[in-house]
Amino acid sequence: MKNLFTNQSLVLILMMCLIVPFIYAQERSVSGIVSDSNGEPLPGVSILIEGTTQGTTSDANGNYRLVIPDSENILIFSYVGYITERVVVGNQSEINISLLEDISQLEELVVVGYGTQQKRDVTGAISQVKGQDFENLPVASSSQALQGRAAGVQVVRNGGAPGSTGSIRIRGVGTINNADPLIIVDGFPGSSLDDVNPNDIESIEVLKDASASAIYGTRAANGVIIVTTKRGKTNENLKFSVNAYTGFSNAINTLDVLDAPTLAQLKRERFVNDGLPVDPIWEDPQYQIQRTDWQDELLDQGVTQNIDLSLRGGGESSSFNMALNYFNEEGMMKNSFFERFSFRLNSDHKINERLNIGQSLQLTSRKGNFLNTNSAQTGVLWSAIRFHPGLPVIDADGNYGSSQVSGEFGDINNPIFTVDTEDDQETRHRILGTLYAELEIIKDLKLRANFGIDGEIFDRDNYEVIIDNQIRARDRNSLTRSYSESYSLLSEYFLSYQKTFAEKHAVGFVGGYAAQTFDEEFFTARRMDFPTEADLQRYLDAGNTIDNATGNRYYDGLESWFARANYEYDSRYLLTVTFRADGSSRFDDGNKWGYFPSFSAGWRISEESFWNGGLISDLKLVGGWGELGNQNVERNQFLALIDNGERYSFGGQQTVGAAQSRIPNPDITWETVEMTNFGVEMGLLENQILANINYFIKDTKDMLLPVPVIGSQGRATVPDRNFGEMRNQGLELELSYRGNKGDLSYQISGNASFIQNEVTRLNAPFLETRRYGRPNEEIARIFPNEPLSPFYGWIADGLYQNASEISSDPSIANDPRNEAGLIQPGDVRFVDQNGDGLIDENDRTIIGDPNPDIVYGLNAGLNYKGFDLNLFFLGSAGHDIYNADRMQGIDPTYPFNMYAETTGRWTGQGTSNSIPRMTTRRDNLNHRTSTLFIENGGFFRMKNITLGYTIPSELTSRIGVSRARFYVSGQNVFTITDYSGIDPELGYVDGNLQLNVDYAQYPQARTWTFGTTIAF
Amino acid sequence: MKKLIFIASTICLVILSIISCKDDLLDSPPYGQSTSATFWQSGEDVVAATNAIYEPLRDHDFYGHAEHTFSIVEDDQWRAGDHGEDQSIEELTFDPSNPQLASSWRFKYEVISRANAVLINAPEVEMDASLKDRSLGEAYFLRGFAYWRLHIIYGGTAIILEEDVLAGEYNKPKSTIAEMQAQIESDLLMATQLLPASHSGDDVGRVHSGSAWGLLSKLYMYMDRLNDAISAGNNVINGPYPLAENFADNFRIETENNPEMLFAVQALDGWAGTPHRIYTTPRPWGGWDFHEPTQNLVDEFEADDPRMDATLFIPGEMVDLGGDRGLTEYTSDLSQTGYHFQKFASWRSSGGLDDGQNVPILRAADVYLLVAEAKIRSGQNGDTELNEVRTRAGLSPITNATMTDVIHERRVELAGENQRHFDLMRWDKAGIVDIVSIYGEDRGQFDPPRNFDRNKHYYFAIPQREIDLSNGVLEQNQGY
Repeated sequence: MKNLFTNQSLVLILMMCLIVPFIYAQERSVSGIVSDSNGEPLPGVSILIEGTTQGTTSDANGNYRLVIPDSENILIFSYVGYITERVVVGNQSEINISLLEDISQLEELVVVGYGTQQKRDVTGAISQVKGQDFENLPVASSSQALQGRAAGVQVVRNGGAPGSTGSIRIRGVGTINNADPLIIVDGFPGSSLDDVNPNDIESIEVLKDASASAIYGTRAANGVIIVTTKRGKTNENLKFSVNAYTGFSNAINTLDVLDAPTLAQLKRERFVNDGLPVDPIWEDPQYQIQRTDWQDELLDQGVTQNIDLSLRGGGESSSFNMALNYFNEEGMMKNSFFERFSFRLNSDHKINERLNIGQSLQLTSRKGNFLNTNSAQTGVLWSAIRFHPGLPVIDADGNYGSSQVSGEFGDINNPIFTVDTEDDQETRHRILGTLYAELEIIKDLKLRANFGIDGEIFDRDNYEVIIDNQIRARDRNSLTRSYSESYSLLSEYFLSYQKTFAEKHAVGFVGGYAAQTFDEEFFTARRMDFPTEADLQRYLDAGNTIDNATGNRYYDGLESWFARANYEYDSRYLLTVTFRADGSSRFDDGNKWGYFPSFSAGWRISEESFWNGGLISDLKLVGGWGELGNQNVERNQFLALIDNGERYSFGGQQTVGAAQSRIPNPDITWETVEMTNFGVEMGLLENQILANINYFIKDTKDMLLPVPVIGSQGRATVPDRNFGEMRNQGLELELSYRGNKGDLSYQISGNASFIQNEVTRLNAPFLETRRYGRPNEEIARIFPNEPLSPFYGWIADGLYQNASEISSDPSIANDPRNEAGLIQPGDVRFVDQNGDGLIDENDRTIIGDPNPDIVYGLNAGLNYKGFDLNLFFLGSAGHDIYNADRMQGIDPTYPFNMYAETTGRWTGQGTSNSIPRMTTRRDNLNHRTSTLFIENGGFFRMKNITLGYTIPSELTSRIGVSRARFYVSGQNVFTITDYSGIDPELGYVDGNLQLNVDYAQYPQARTWTFGTTIAF
Repeated sequence: MKKLIFIASTICLVILSIISCKDDLLDSPPYGQSTSATFWQSGEDVVAATNAIYEPLRDHDFYGHAEHTFSIVEDDQWRAGDHGEDQSIEELTFDPSNPQLASSWRFKYEVISRANAVLINAPEVEMDASLKDRSLGEAYFLRGFAYWRLHIIYGGTAIILEEDVLAGEYNKPKSTIAEMQAQIESDLLMATQLLPASHSGDDVGRVHSGSAWGLLSKLYMYMDRLNDAISAGNNVINGPYPLAENFADNFRIETENNPEMLFAVQALDGWAGTPHRIYTTPRPWGGWDFHEPTQNLVDEFEADDPRMDATLFIPGEMVDLGGDRGLTEYTSDLSQTGYHFQKFASWRSSGGLDDGQNVPILRAADVYLLVAEAKIRSGQNGDTELNEVRTRAGLSPITNATMTDVIHERRVELAGENQRHFDLMRWDKAGIVDIVSIYGEDRGQFDPPRNFDRNKHYYFAIPQREIDLSNGVLEQNQGY
């Protein structure tokens, strides 16, 4: 494994000895440190003894010292911009206190499309996550940072592989197609969240409803996420800080599987039960010795290392922020790794009173090695669960243990061989640069121009070795190199105007033009027959046979006009109207342009004269409606394509053929989402408690559906049609509370989403989704008038316990298998849904729902003196998991190892009602898709706990350090769940189409992290 | 103030005019791809489109593997392998949702779809007339062949022709068996007229009129039109399709394209192969160990029949696996039945299974035996044709051969070539054999008794997926 950068510079655990001075105060004097909520010392804070004029101010390091007369007992800490604190002294001699900033959260700015608004004036549904909420947590990627922090925003982790990120779904899955939200980083639409270093983030705004996101028109249907990175401030002292951590990851859980002697015993039992001679391989004592726990061999300890360096500051007219980040993760699965290097430079310059310019630049390099972890035929964890436990990792001759010995050992390669030889690395280099100029034409009227480039170089090297002693052999080695370059260019021009007339009429306007182009060129080259497989020879030139060279180019263009107007009367009545017109190259002439209007209104009841405040200090009602588009569909579906690469041979010579690979659909156009939103925003107890409740209905229309290709059409792709409809509706709650008591300050926040999804219109009785593994079992289908992809199969009703239960069961009275005596005690009793006396395909029904009723997150932060504690919990409830892996895990008819629970199989009346008998026969298809493999998927997980300690700055300042914090953090610390598989937090498979199906994906790890943040 | 507004609006206009001048911003050309608008211009396009009709044959889900699974029912082979779902096919207890029934369905229709594209477009293209005829002939043959496979496996299925493609009509009800046969006959007769009698050089492996006559002869046998079978078959027997000198030549890469081979899936190592070779060979030799020959088949060979050795790996036989392994002894523990088929695989001298092994579909020897059978069943003497096959193998001729001789000869000559199960069903329908008792007999674990139900098993079940998606248009076969 080659790293992009050396690891040596990462010495992450600093040893420091501290002598904490004890002050024995005989007289009644008090001293301490005043700091802000981030632990930064606050100089110049006024400390007054209540009822007197005596007092002092804190020094440059926040320290103070005060002598108090016996008669007085209360100190008042006050500082401009901070909430004044009253502290009872009692017999304390040391009082350290952190002051909270006195910005009412309602006056904070929220980033909206092409501008900002005060939170109090927002009439759409926007969730804000601040960088400081996760800056002290070791999150590996920015999408993880968002997980569980905003209602209606679900971040679904698709496995725990290094570098794997999450799928973000805003307000449910809006389409069966690409449902990813539009990501805007520093004003550039279409960028990637995963290239942004989480530590660089100032804030993330999630625009959830149509009113907030309609200004992004044709790309906003799945919601919009606006990421703003940290910038310097003018007249800010230079600040250099270092944040470094090291984490250790281990598997949370492995599956118990049979050991070699028990496996042989159960395999023999199959033949005996069937009256067949036992295959001699199961009598062979050398395969009845337990040799290897394959999951243990595969899952080792993973190590994560991260270091951030940043330098920030500003003078009279210029300010900047510069940051470097290196992140490296070696996964717990052998030979899986990911590393990321990023650099950022943001700067702003005031040219004169009227003109500001600025830029942001982000450079990222990412590199990783990816293992196959989701195939149910070759996936490494899937294989490790099933590989024969009596085979060695390496045998006496130095070869990898192999299942070639017998067909009874399955068509699986040794998973350790696979991870040891897998060499599939990809590198991505990305640049995101933006440049702006803002001109104040007249007072209150500004013209802004934004230019940007988002470029990526992608390079993948996949070297495949010769495999000669494994069952899935490969006779020739090969190297495939795939390379692509893509660029997106942006130019935007817009005017903004903001003015209040006659004190009561506040008017705002933003409007302009945007054009964005996307270009991609790629090639793939492959050579075979490398004489040696040495690392030094893994370059294309070393291969003797040129096998393949392909390449092509893609282009997309978008052109848009947009406008938004706000009107506010007397801070009580708020109105926003938005319009966007978008033209897209993805569609044919006549279908290129789409128009997206929206409006919303708000009423701040608490500003009315009749409102008397009291418990509810702030109350606002909002409502809105709008239309959004989704153009994120395959391009050029209106053209009939011919594939020129159909390989065949005649006369021993290479020939290629050409066949139509796609039938055109000239009518194709975008998907439209119509969304209605109602919300209540409340502040209670002087806004210490904030509550936000939103209800929405989101209707997707013209959803592009694959036309189910019936077999008689052959194999050409039939393009999608704008036919489907889907509805998501739901309730979102966000609550937060913050307060403090003496030295203790705390904040608690929680969010919950209750979202119901329903496919309301399809072009077919159902749509198929991916099938499971070798048995090609259908697991989930999309049906009209049902939530997305319910599990579909048979209902199992226990096992037949004796022959008379079989002969008297009306469900199989006419079943030919029963007539032929093929259904035996110990087989599954399936429910005859249609009452025809036999079990067949017509008895399938919906057997489970993968969509949670509720998804929630809980966050608690406590600060006490130098200590800070952060707890973060995540949970979901009200959904099923289809444990597809267990389907084969207890199936004796496949030549694989089985789950340990198989020892509890049916062996006679009353022995089991859920684990079928051992047999080699599949007459009753005991392990077909059925309720036997449906489990409750709900879970509650401590996603993170972090405990930090900040050394008092009076100590650290002596060595020039303004802040030094050390922390320990645990990820996925515990999980409460009924689920029997490895991990209940399963992501999507097959695009959006399957959720919560267990294919033995790369599991999530439990990680303990140790880190430090030091600022100078 | 006015001056400022003037300046600002001038700036706006200048900027807007700069960016708006790119008026092709919203056009996305299909770089590097052909579209139907640019295709079908030349003879080369027609030949390329015709080549593509053959391509699906190679696929794993067609003759690469799946198509052979329909033959595991027969008494010549034990399914072996590790596909759990094969058990119910071998034992005739399968459900319509059995995945092995589904995989090859759409590949047959893909051949039909590609053939229809040529039949629709090629007539309009200006090109060399003989090349055009050849291409149209290949399209007719391959479409007829795909319907032939659908018909013997499933009975009646949807017939999709040029007008259906143009109308976008694919969800059609099943045709009757007679309609299927009429369509196949019509396509094959067109092919006999359009195709040349043989090919040379870089075209060897394309179908020719002999391929069409041979398949027609077989079709007529399934239609009980014995005289038509004889006359169609005679076009092969009297044509340039002599039997190879050695039976084994048909299964060696160097000689597999000899004139006897009327139709085979073409494979070329390093370019375009099929996995059938992997499925039929022992696991320790790089294979996946499916389709093991039964003892019952081995016993069928006459003692001195050299075809047994060419057809099977027999314990004690030395096999050259190339590379480090070289000559290796075949031992009985490599197989559950004790044997493997030898016809479909060979090893490179450098080691590893050779990907250049063709998959035979129709041989002249098959047609000789069909003509012999037709003659015998219509009261004539079939000795000449039968004995051509026997003497080529080095066996003594038979006089006054009977159906028993034909049945024996077809079984040993064509073992493993996907004929036996379909022959047995054909003969059972004609009252010549009793398939129920042949399949009902218990010949041990690797040739278990199976219950052949005449109301059901003459045809396999139509894949459940197709029934589900047809919205009631496609009806399941009788008995399922």
